[in-house]
Amino acid sequence: MTGQRVLVVDDEPQILRALRATLRGAGYTVESAETAQGALTAAAAHPPEAVILDLVLPDGNGTDVCRELRSWSDAPVIVLSAVGEEKEKIAALDAGADDYVTKPFSVDELLARLRAVLRRLAPESGPVIEVGDLEIDVAERLVTRAGERIKLTPHEFDLLRVLAQNRGKLLTHRMLLREVWGPAYGDEAHYLHVYVSHLRSKIEADPSKPRIVLTEPGAGYRLVDPESS
Amino acid sequence: VCRVKRRSRRDLLVGIAASIAAVAVVTAVIALVKQWVPVLSLGVLYVFAVLPIAVVWGLWLALPVSIASMLAFNWFFLPPVHTFTLANSENWFALAVYLATAVVVSELAARARRRAAAAEQREHESSLLAELATELLRGRELGDELGEIGTRTAGVLGVDNAQIELGAQRRPPPGTSPHLLEAADRTVGTIYVPAGSDPNVAARHRFLPALAALLAVAVDRDRLEREALEAEALRRSDLVKTALLRAVSHDLRSPLTGIRTAVGALRNPTLHLSNEDRLELLETIDLDSDRLSRLVGDLLDLSRLEAGGAAPEAEVWSLDDLVREAIDALDARDRVELAGEAPLVNVDATQIQRVLANLIENALKFSPPDARVHVRITATRKEAIVRVVDQGPGLAENELERVFEPFYRRGSDTRSGAGLGLAIARGFAAANGGRVWAESRPGQGATFALALPVVEVPAELQA
Repeated sequence: MTGQRVLVVDDEPQILRALRATLRGAGYTVESAETAQGALTAAAAHPPEAVILDLVLPDGNGTDVCRELRSWSDAPVIVLSAVGEEKEKIAALDAGADDYVTKPFSVDELLARLRAVLRRLAPESGPVIEVGDLEIDVAERLVTRAGERIKLTPHEFDLLRVLAQNRGKLLTHRMLLREVWGPAYGDEAHYLHVYVSHLRSKIEADPSKPRIVLTEPGAGYRLVDPESS
Repeated sequence: VCRVKRRSRRDLLVGIAASIAAVAVVTAVIALVKQWVPVLSLGVLYVFAVLPIAVVWGLWLALPVSIASMLAFNWFFLPPVHTFTLANSENWFALAVYLATAVVVSELAARARRRAAAAEQREHESSLLAELATELLRGRELGDELGEIGTRTAGVLGVDNAQIELGAQRRPPPGTSPHLLEAADRTVGTIYVPAGSDPNVAARHRFLPALAALLAVAVDRDRLEREALEAEALRRSDLVKTALLRAVSHDLRSPLTGIRTAVGALRNPTLHLSNEDRLELLETIDLDSDRLSRLVGDLLDLSRLEAGGAAPEAEVWSLDDLVREAIDALDARDRVELAGEAPLVNVDATQIQRVLANLIENALKFSPPDARVHVRITATRKEAIVRVVDQGPGLAENELERVFEPFYRRGSDTRSGAGLGLAIARGFAAANGGRVWAESRPGQGATFALALPVVEVPAELQA
């Protein structure tokens, strides 16, 4: 049985061993590496369909691996981070990582994230995106719920569009600010919090318990289908 | 109190005696000289009696001396002699002129003397202040200087002694009277002078505020310095704590992650695990639990050592036996070579075996896989030394001490141990009266040494 190829990078031999067995059990073909250099070599030799990447490696950090990998591969990257490595985690996400799990993680969570990133290989690019009962018409810049029009400001609309086009993916504050407000922005996370709360008040059934635009504390936001969560 | 009064009375007596002597001497001189010079013009010589008295004792004594001089002149030299009457009315005039001259001259002299004294006092005060400022600003600890400053201030104030206390005023010590040292908006401290003594008022008003201002600056500087030191200490202990937390959380989390992943996989019904993978997962759990329990044990040992709770139960042992047992405990007999003497030491066997095991384990870790670690025991009359020599990369000069810091890791050693082994070894060695240190030249391997005091073998057992 040859399933999708996953490259696992961690310098802790026991974690690496447990992950290898787990992923094999879930039907993936597993490659592994213990160093940053080893990871890049392995990825070049057998291009993986997804990468699980520890942030702290003996010869470098996961962020650099991520950036390097991104320059020639579209394989989604899930970062293994630890409490106390929040900055590194954000840096890796900004450098192109798709998602993260925090050590010690549950196997179910990791496998679910892995399935999610593998499913979503390309951003949605159709003229109309449906999220639950929301319809987002990208070309006409219209949002309707069950046929009824929702009025959004231009920034709110762009925020929703970017999140919806990357459905399921964790977008960092910096990514969202750049996409919506332009490349000069990046550190004004408070803008974002305000706009997200405005957006939620218009599109969420209960803005205090958001089910569409979810907060990833300290990292960014993620849009999900309300049915699937 | 009495001393001050006595002194001024003595001063008065000396003054009067000096005055009488001065008038007598001038009278004698006039008696001697009058055969050559008209006597009336010699009255002016009494100025030489009045002037020194005015300079030394002031106007209050110079005035009576002037009058006494004129009376003496009248009595001894102006006709009719030996009476206070005068034959010639011109002589009255001359006498009056002499008296007035004497009074004016003595007033001028006294004033000059007062000015000189005041100038001297001020010079004294300002040079003292300047010296104090220099010393205090040079960074001398204020507390050490207070006694000296008190003594010198006493000199300026004209009292026998003075004692300075910083801070709020308390009940003055018996027999003293307090003067507050006030600078700008606050009381810097109090100066105590003997009760009843009379500090120079002008000096007190001039000098004490300046002294207080100076002390205030020094007090502030001391306080700032102390605060800076405390802040620095806090910052450092924060750094240590952060590093410690980070290290502990990393070292606890890694085995936990391994265990949790393996358990999660084994319990997940959707996974199709081969038997081989199952065994691998079980081994991960085994090894990582081992690692966790060792780490927790190390942390406990370390905290016990730091709390001083690792009291050794000493017995006499042959050191080579302890080394052999440590090697066996590590299951490393075929990688370690033991040689040397067999001195007796009085130690806690468990703790010293732990020290030795940690040193040997460390040496094994940093040696190439096929290299052997050499352990040699040497002994002098006082000390037994175990040297553990590895063939690893060695230690840089600046690492020789740092390797004993908790959580310190050598080079790129990211996976093995939490960096506690050597810290624990040093702690247990110290608890047993010994010490542990590192010797190395980079590229030649490292040597870790344990020194323990030797037990004197009783003579009757030396056969």
